[in-house]
Amino acid sequence: MGLTEFGHFALISAFVLSLIQSAVPLYGAARQDMQLMLIGPAAALSAAIASLIAFGALVTAFIRSDFSVALVANHSHSAKPLIYKISGTWGNHEGSLLLWILILMIYGAVLALSGRGMPTRLKARILAVQGMISSGFLAFSLFTSNPFARLADAPMDGKGLNPILQDPGLAIHPPMLYLGYVGLSIAFAFAVAGLISGDVDRLWAKWMRPWIMAAWCALTLGIALGSWWAYYELGWGGWWFWDPVENASLMPWLAATALLHSAIVVEKRGQLKSWTVLLAILAFSLSLVGTFIVRSGLLTSVHSFASDPARGVFILGILLVAVGVPLIFYAWRGPRLMTIADFNLKSREGALIANNMLLVVATAIVLLGTFYPLGLEMITGARITVGPPYFDATFNPVMGVLTVIMVFGPVMAWRRGATPRIKTTILAAAVAAAISGIVGIALVNDMAIGALAAVMLIGWLAAGIGADIWAQLRPSPQFSLGARWQRLPRDVLGMWIAHFGIVVFLLGATGDGLFRSEQVVRAKPGDVIEIAGREVTLLRVFERQGPNFQALTAELEYRDAASGRFIARLMPEKRVYTAERQTTTEAAIRPRPGGDDYAVLGDGDDRIGYSLRLYYKPLISWIWGGTALMALGGLVAMTGRRRQSAPNNSEVKTTADVKAMARGRA
Amino acid sequence: MSRFRPSFFIPLIAFLGLAIIGGMALQSTLSGNRNPSQLPSVLIGKAAPDVALPLLQDRQAELALGNFQGQPLLVNFFASWCAPCRAEAPALEQLSEQITIIGIAYKDRRSDTTEFLQQYGNPFTAIGMDIDGRAGIVWGVYGVPETYLIDTAGRIQWRHAGPLTRDVITTQLLPQMAEMQ
Repeated sequence: MGLTEFGHFALISAFVLSLIQSAVPLYGAARQDMQLMLIGPAAALSAAIASLIAFGALVTAFIRSDFSVALVANHSHSAKPLIYKISGTWGNHEGSLLLWILILMIYGAVLALSGRGMPTRLKARILAVQGMISSGFLAFSLFTSNPFARLADAPMDGKGLNPILQDPGLAIHPPMLYLGYVGLSIAFAFAVAGLISGDVDRLWAKWMRPWIMAAWCALTLGIALGSWWAYYELGWGGWWFWDPVENASLMPWLAATALLHSAIVVEKRGQLKSWTVLLAILAFSLSLVGTFIVRSGLLTSVHSFASDPARGVFILGILLVAVGVPLIFYAWRGPRLMTIADFNLKSREGALIANNMLLVVATAIVLLGTFYPLGLEMITGARITVGPPYFDATFNPVMGVLTVIMVFGPVMAWRRGATPRIKTTILAAAVAAAISGIVGIALVNDMAIGALAAVMLIGWLAAGIGADIWAQLRPSPQFSLGARWQRLPRDVLGMWIAHFGIVVFLLGATGDGLFRSEQVVRAKPGDVIEIAGREVTLLRVFERQGPNFQALTAELEYRDAASGRFIARLMPEKRVYTAERQTTTEAAIRPRPGGDDYAVLGDGDDRIGYSLRLYYKPLISWIWGGTALMALGGLVAMTGRRRQSAPNNSEVKTTADVKAMARGRA
Repeated sequence: MSRFRPSFFIPLIAFLGLAIIGGMALQSTLSGNRNPSQLPSVLIGKAAPDVALPLLQDRQAELALGNFQGQPLLVNFFASWCAPCRAEAPALEQLSEQITIIGIAYKDRRSDTTEFLQQYGNPFTAIGMDIDGRAGIVWGVYGVPETYLIDTAGRIQWRHAGPLTRDVITTQLLPQMAEMQ
């Protein structure tokens, strides 16, 4: 038996184990049978090991360039560098599905091993839901997308991998994104378990929050990596294109961000329970859509490297069950989770509810912009895309209002009223917004209203966070700075970092949007082009042979226009991948905190000249710096959570009592 | 004990609405009415662009589609460096018995093109050299091979990106040609 068949066998074992995991603990939880409930963690662990073996077998086939495996023959090539042989494992539909499953299994195993103090029935139910999800996707893999299928006649060499995907960014972008998408399955499992048992309480939220946070951090980084990849690899100079696949990753992020905030309200105030459950279902449903809509062949996109409508039927079936059944549950059991509305709009939870409303509206905007063209096509047959103008006009204002609220939330108190620091914080933020607005108008001619708003928001949010930090850490007669730092909860620190990440992100987006320069020219060797205070000389254009491609490379020399000082030498390329006969554009980028020099080589020859696109993009790297800060903030908040000691009995009793009371009342 | 609340059904109803649209889209994709990767050419029904190209055999002379007006034409973009072009060579050879085929060598060197034709046969009545790919841009060529069917009035009737497989020829090209006559 070859390793590949062993991997296939391991995948089948994982399927069987997942079926056990989805049924037995659920039955055990209903019967209060500890023995049966404990089968959950055991099954989850073994299934994770089995899928790890399956994945390892597939990676090995790719490393060995075993072209008797159909997947390897179709997606790899012996001339490819090792790292892309490995990343080629998930550069295709079957392999990326297997990676998705592996990550799902690992989350399940971590959940099984951790959370010792977690109520056993809750854990059993969560693992069961997790098992149902993995059973569905293992069935999808085994019955429609078997990665281990062999070829009767092994070809001499493989058909290669899409060269656009042959990139270090792409080697880590999908795993990171999947880590985020799949992490939301745990929040989903919490929600479904909560609907089954009716036990959605503060303890439930406390256990769920770190999982949401972990998934959110990974999703944030995954999206940022994808955007960074698009920026340097696609050679269009942009960082976000409102492409259906980008939107598909943004929607779960927006929903997860809302969930992150609403779960705080459940934990601290015991409110917004049914809403939080719904958000958790929504966030994971959207990430299922995000992962699999690309595969179904429903939408046109630059990313659709693995589309196949025939599989779409299976995907749609999984989606129907995975989303439809919990929503039926929600319609039926959700009303039980209702609490007597008890909050004042002028409170911390009031601000968080506003945050949730805005984020859900933003999600709906993206959803509409992504699927409206599809709906329209079904009705009228016309094929359109809505594109950036739609999103600029709708998404940006909503996010702008959200940024305004971000200053209010942290300085409001729970329940009702404000904290003493509200006045100074709002005042500082307002003054800073006014100053940055005036500076912006003075610096930029004819600034658009949206740009002015962005500039003012940057000042508003930066000063708002700064004032809050000062108010909370300022040395007072009783406490020194160090003492106040010691007393500072880690999630507050995390929040500051993450919110400040948005300031940095906005700086990058606005800097690039307002001040970027662009030159599209046809140049011959020796020509000088001027851009953003630089003199760019096209020295020469030459041909070069890469490991599996042929390249046309331009050598550009950047000098300061005023002083003539040498700045850099950039070498943009056009590559022809011989095995796949595909052409890619390799932009040359010199990234600096102040701004990026970005050069792209187009067609041409020495006689008529080459088309060159040169950009200067001020502050653009801050976009990804800001996103990284957001993720860091999430990590800080997550690691800072107090280790959960075993729940003391009184707490559990309280929960049960509350439930009994609620039932009695109803 | 369980309270019934209509508002809790809203998410379910919204989801079912979306699922129905998705299902319809999938249905029409599967039935072949809709191909998301097939972008219609804007040139269909319009006059074929006449870009002056040097001929393969004679640098001084230019390929002019106008010279062939009055008869249906097949314009095939190909290149010696393109593997599917080799695959479709026999099909073009057969088609050349029924229709005049004009070849446009896309981003190719004269010597390579000549060698390619010697090896895989020359079904073309005339061959233009689109060395810098400008004609490709004007025609809106997606990639090689790509084939355009032009009617007697010089208008583009049909376009196919990718190699002409037996399936494409029998289900699309031949019916189109029959319709024109």
